[in-house]
Order: sequence, then structure tokens, then C-alpha cells
Amino acid sequence: MRRSLSLLLGSLIAFAVLLTGASPSWAYPFWAQQNYASPREATGKIVCANCHLAKKATRVEVPQAIFPDTVFKAVVEIPYDASVQQVAGDGSRAGLNVGAVVMLPDGFTLAPQDRLSEELKEETAGIYYTQYSDDQPNILLVGPISGDEHQEIVFPILSPDPATDSSIHFGKYQLHVGGNRGRGQVYPTGEKSNNGVFNAPVTGTVSAITAGDNGASLVEITAADGTTATETVPAGPTILAAVGDAVVAGSPITNDPNVGGFGQIDAEVVLQNPVRIYGLLAFFAAIALAQILLVLKKRQVEKVQAAEGLI
Amino acid sequence: MHILKKPDLTDPKLRAKLAKGMGHNYYGEPAWPNDLLYMFPVVILGTIGCMVGLAVMDPAMLGDKADPFATPLEILPEWYLYPVFQILRVVPNKLLGIALQTMIPLGLMLVPFIESFNKFQNPFRRPVAMATFLFGTVFAIYLGIGAAMPIDKSLTLGLF
Repeated sequence: MRRSLSLLLGSLIAFAVLLTGASPSWAYPFWAQQNYASPREATGKIVCANCHLAKKATRVEVPQAIFPDTVFKAVVEIPYDASVQQVAGDGSRAGLNVGAVVMLPDGFTLAPQDRLSEELKEETAGIYYTQYSDDQPNILLVGPISGDEHQEIVFPILSPDPATDSSIHFGKYQLHVGGNRGRGQVYPTGEKSNNGVFNAPVTGTVSAITAGDNGASLVEITAADGTTATETVPAGPTILAAVGDAVVAGSPITNDPNVGGFGQIDAEVVLQNPVRIYGLLAFFAAIALAQILLVLKKRQVEKVQAAEGLI
Repeated sequence: MHILKKPDLTDPKLRAKLAKGMGHNYYGEPAWPNDLLYMFPVVILGTIGCMVGLAVMDPAMLGDKADPFATPLEILPEWYLYPVFQILRVVPNKLLGIALQTMIPLGLMLVPFIESFNKFQNPFRRPVAMATFLFGTVFAIYLGIGAAMPIDKSLTLGLF
């Protein structure tokens, strides 16, 4: 009873999210959240790349080192040509959306609003950050948001304090960052989206191209043995094959409408202990003093050597 | 003020040594104690300071846990193995790859015998050996850079 209730409730929530939260041209990080416990596979691949097949550059800027319990920012850059448009779910043209995932080291979290500086508040205004799952507050998601204003996404991050949390240690840690622009090429179910290339299912001749539902086209290919196969091309990609063309199985029959892509990059940040910095400065001062004294002593010895005429 | 021991050029023994290209350590700043006792520790302390500074400011990182069942997306050996890694990567046939790996030590063994008839030690007077060495060095650097690039750019280095 409880099980079916929770199922019902879950599907209701999912339905509500689909109804309200989603618009056809957006990317869906929550698909990754539903399908993967961690957004990073054991190979180091961030799972967004499973649906966003094209590869584009993503950059990230983080400080070299930060002190514990400090707010700092990680800037994810997702550059693309803002003048190009992508195909939306219904085949019309639309601007690109961007999204980013930042996998922080254990203990690092999103900085709370009341600790942000005025500058950071301005930079993060209008961006809604979610954590990947309830038990992983160190994995942050943003998006999809309009790409034209957000080719740079600022993540305000709070560093942990080893003094209050004994599971945290000072040292160098790695961040994994993924940035995406534009729609994906496949859905998590494996179906193709209309933002990709469609291929001929069999070798043969294109015998007919007819209009289907919702602006889709049905490309009928007759193989040499007389059997026909139909490939449904939704609105979006332009069909390049014409009736009478000979096609080989797997060869593209449409252009590639995709203009976006996903990129991932790793960054490093040092969780630094302020006491170590003071110790280091004191050590440097001691070394400098010892070096100066050694040179002075040498000068003194040289005077003795000159006076005694030993050399 | 520097304590410099000048060469006594009236000394026939020193002159004879200098004529043979020897005897240069009989003049200049004395090694003991001026250099060894006072200047060496200055340099040693500076080196220790650099290392401690790096260890504190930029400590070594623990990477991902080793998992023999998960090959990383981008595999690369240590930097000094980049050129041979690149040979294995671009050669289509495994046997050819193994054969080329064998050729590397064999080629290195050949080096002392190149131009061994030449009586000069000066590299500029050993054109064949020098040309072989320079070509090998440049080619190894080219292969090494290629190893760090995606496979479709690794031969052209993305320049063409």
C-alpha cells in the first residue's frame, strides 16, 4: 500500500515537474539525477556526455588556495557563438541554453546567501543552484538557463573547516566541472532527439519522402531485395537525401543541426591552513637570516685571510 | 673585498702544468673554507626553502582511487614515455608497434658506432653523428607533443 502510494506520489511529482518545469528547448539535468547516483563515472566521464554527444570547450577558474570556512567563487565559462540558434523540440529555431555541474571535494558546499559579498550577490543574481542529490551537497547543478546572459556561471562556494569537522583535512583537492550548451542528441531512454543526424537504416534507394505528424518526415528506403524500411525524421534536421538517391546503411540522410556541445575539465584547489603560512614565513625568515650571517662570516674570514697573508 | 689567489706565473712548475691544460685549481678563490663552509650552506638552505615552500603552498594531491576495471578517459604514461607511447598509439599493427619498440634500444646501441672512424671529439666536427642526434631529438619531441594531443591531431599537431 505504502509502496504504491509513494509510486503514485512520485509519478505525480514527476508529472508536475514535467508540466511546469520543462520547456521543449531545455536540457534536463534531472534526467542525470534520476539515472546516476554520481554524475561522474568511474572512468572520469561526466554523465552529461552520454546524451550531449558533441564536444565543446568548457573552462573553469578557481583560486589556487583557500582558507577554511571561507567563501570563494568558481567561475565556469561555457563559450559559444551567441549569434547561432539551435533547433527546439518542435523544430523551430531558438537560442541556446547553458547548464553546468560542479563536483566539489567532500565537505565543500554552496555558500549560504547571508555569507555572500555584495559583489558575489550581484554575480549570482537570478541563478538557481541545486545540489545533485540530498546526500551529496558537494555536487552542484545549474541550468538550464538562458545562455546569452550566462556564458559565465559563478558558483559561490564555502570551504569546510577541519577544526569543526574531523573528516576534513588540509591539502589539495580536485574539482570536476562540466559545462553544456544546447540540447542533447539522445534521451536517457536511448531515443534520438531531433537535434542530431539521422541515418539510413538499410542499404537501398530512397523511394519516397512523405510528411508525417508534427512536421516530421518519413523517409522510405527500398532495399535491393524489395523490402522497405522507414526512418522517421522529426522536424529540425534538414533532409539531404532525395527520392532516387542510393544510400548505404548508417550513412547520414540529414544534416547535423546541432550547434552546442558538452565539455568537462578538472581543476585543483588547495585547502590551506593559515598556521602553516605563518610557519612557512617564519621558516623563510630564519633561512634568510642564516644566509646573511653565513655571508657576513665569510667576509670576516676573508679579512683574516688578507691580514695574515695566508693566501 | 675578495680573497683571490693569483697564479704565480714565474713558477716554472705551474707554467708547465698550464701548458698541459692543468693547474687551474691553484689560483682563484680558495675552496676551503670560503666556498665549502660558507657559500655551500647558503645554496643548500635556499634549496630547502624552495622545497618546503612548494610543499606547503602546493602540496601533492591524492588522485582518484585506483580502479583496475575503469580505464580513465585519457590515458597517458609518465612524460618521458610520451614518444614511445605515441609510436604505439599511431601504428595500426600491434606487431609493428612491438617491432618499433625493439628498434629504439637497438638504434641507441648503434650510436657509438656512428662515425666511429672520426678522430675528433668535438660534436661540430662529427656531422653525421650530430645530424643523427639532432634528428632523433627533434623527432622524439614531435612524437611527445603528439602523444598529448587528440589522436586525430597527433600527427599534424593541429597545425595543418
